[in-house]
Amino acid sequence: MNPAPPLPRRRFLRQGAAAGAAAMLARAASPAPAPAAPPGIIDTHVTLFRWPFRRLKYDATPALVAKLRRHRITEAWAGSHEALLHKDLAGVNARLAAECRAHGDGLLRPFGSVNLAWPDWEEDLRRCQEEHRMPGVRLFPGYQTFDLTHPDLGRLIQLTAERGLIVQIVFQLEDPRVHHPLLSLPVIDARPLVPLLERTPAARVQLLHFAGNVAGTDLRALVDRTNAWFEFSRWEGNGRLGQLIQPGPGGARPPVPAARVLFGSHAPYFPVETGLLRLFESPLDAETLHALMHRNARRLLPA
Amino acid sequence: MDPLAFALNPADYGLPTRDELVAYRIWDTHFHGFNATTDPLGQFHANNLYVRRMGIERSITLEAGGTLRAPLEPAPHDAEMRALLVRERSWLSGITPIDPGFPDESCAKMEAWIRHGPCIGIKYVGGNRRGIPCSHPNNDPIIRLAAELGATIYIHTWLKVGGTPRAPGRGNLPGESTPQDVVALARRFPDVRFICGHSGGDWELGVRSVRAQPNVLLEFAGSDPHSGAVDFAARELGADRLVWGGHGPSRSYATELAKVLESDLSPADRRKVFGGNFRRLAAPILRRQGIPFEP
Repeated sequence: MNPAPPLPRRRFLRQGAAAGAAAMLARAASPAPAPAAPPGIIDTHVTLFRWPFRRLKYDATPALVAKLRRHRITEAWAGSHEALLHKDLAGVNARLAAECRAHGDGLLRPFGSVNLAWPDWEEDLRRCQEEHRMPGVRLFPGYQTFDLTHPDLGRLIQLTAERGLIVQIVFQLEDPRVHHPLLSLPVIDARPLVPLLERTPAARVQLLHFAGNVAGTDLRALVDRTNAWFEFSRWEGNGRLGQLIQPGPGGARPPVPAARVLFGSHAPYFPVETGLLRLFESPLDAETLHALMHRNARRLLPA
Repeated sequence: MDPLAFALNPADYGLPTRDELVAYRIWDTHFHGFNATTDPLGQFHANNLYVRRMGIERSITLEAGGTLRAPLEPAPHDAEMRALLVRERSWLSGITPIDPGFPDESCAKMEAWIRHGPCIGIKYVGGNRRGIPCSHPNNDPIIRLAAELGATIYIHTWLKVGGTPRAPGRGNLPGESTPQDVVALARRFPDVRFICGHSGGDWELGVRSVRAQPNVLLEFAGSDPHSGAVDFAARELGADRLVWGGHGPSRSYATELAKVLESDLSPADRRKVFGGNFRRLAAPILRRQGIPFEP
């Protein structure tokens, strides 16, 4: 028997959409409770102020906030690009807190920064919590001239655990192949974090823009041996998000538990649309989407 | 669960619905669906879920015949690839990789895979054994033959920062072309159109490099999604010179679609970038190869 001739592509695509629409109609025909409002999203990775190397389309806070709202992002955890290179972190953090108050429209929650390479970072940490009421701090190893072998990192993790603060660690902001030639940043190795977090199980640490090494050994160690959380802005490849959080063939354990994964856009450096489209590219059910969009973040940081 | 259905409505999040994605008529001119070292056909079949979910109308593989790692060496799946390109021609097309270090062998491959085969164009891959970029004069027979066949010409370009002192392009692989190489080649063939791939990697410099050379189009797949990049390229080059690629499965359609969906381009210009510009460029070879398409 000859195989059926291939459908013209556009008809094939329309047929797929029609099948989806038919399923929706079937669902609509059965008695169902009134549809709930679509869930809002908590974006755990946005950054305010100027990127040092070019103007970004949404680097003005009011424009960024309006953009986030257009995409149903109801809360965003905001760091500061000033923290990459400035030495006066107290000033950086004060401006960040003021900017979130002035232009955040109730959406932005400031995450200040401490730089372990600068003296008396403990005072910056204290001010973040006691003066600015920040829920956590964001570190930029590499740009801030330290890596995760820095002798003070364990102490920072211990102090933040005692204070109930979240620590966000940014692994990369920009593809090193397109760095400004004056920049020569080391690749940040996540592995030294593992024993530190094992020693401090109460620590609440989230890795931002982290994909792990090629072999996946650092990601595996962080998943298995620590309580670290992740966001998925660096999880690149078709369906990568679903492949990392959904059970594999035969019900194999997923590489990363979905309950520890949060939405992160890396806006305004990345388009907000990138992270949003990742949610739809992988075939994820509504329960998983709710977890990624807001429930997991709310467990890490209550309202 | 219907694998094509979305559990939530993308429109509620300021995104196009699947029907709207389909309406953009998206042609993925940079499809790496057969690039796996162990099971390229398995990779292709596994990726089709995402092709369908995201409403891609046509996928154009850049590894039809041989592999990107060894463009001129036959690959074990070559025969199956040829059959696939014929059987699935309603939505799958092929571009064959060549090696500018071996122009005679490259031309022979073009004869086999384009004139006497199903492919519609050639690709200069990212680096080669002899360290020959696309601007080398020995390339000219390749371009003359491509022009005769009406084949599309895609050139991988990057400007990787590296070297001492560090500078963009000094980190490139031997033979890995830069946008400046494409411009040098395009000047020699003003009546032929070229696609400068990856926007040079560094789009701020890549756009500047090709700006004054009107027969060079810019494709911007395979690099991180930088907010504002497509707006910048459209402003400097015009939307008619932009071509979209998906670069999947190693890149995510989410990454590549977002570059355009975030831009301020009009819906009409988005349709050009997502497929219209490439269809115009490739129309002669598509007709010659008997590939059904709507302009």
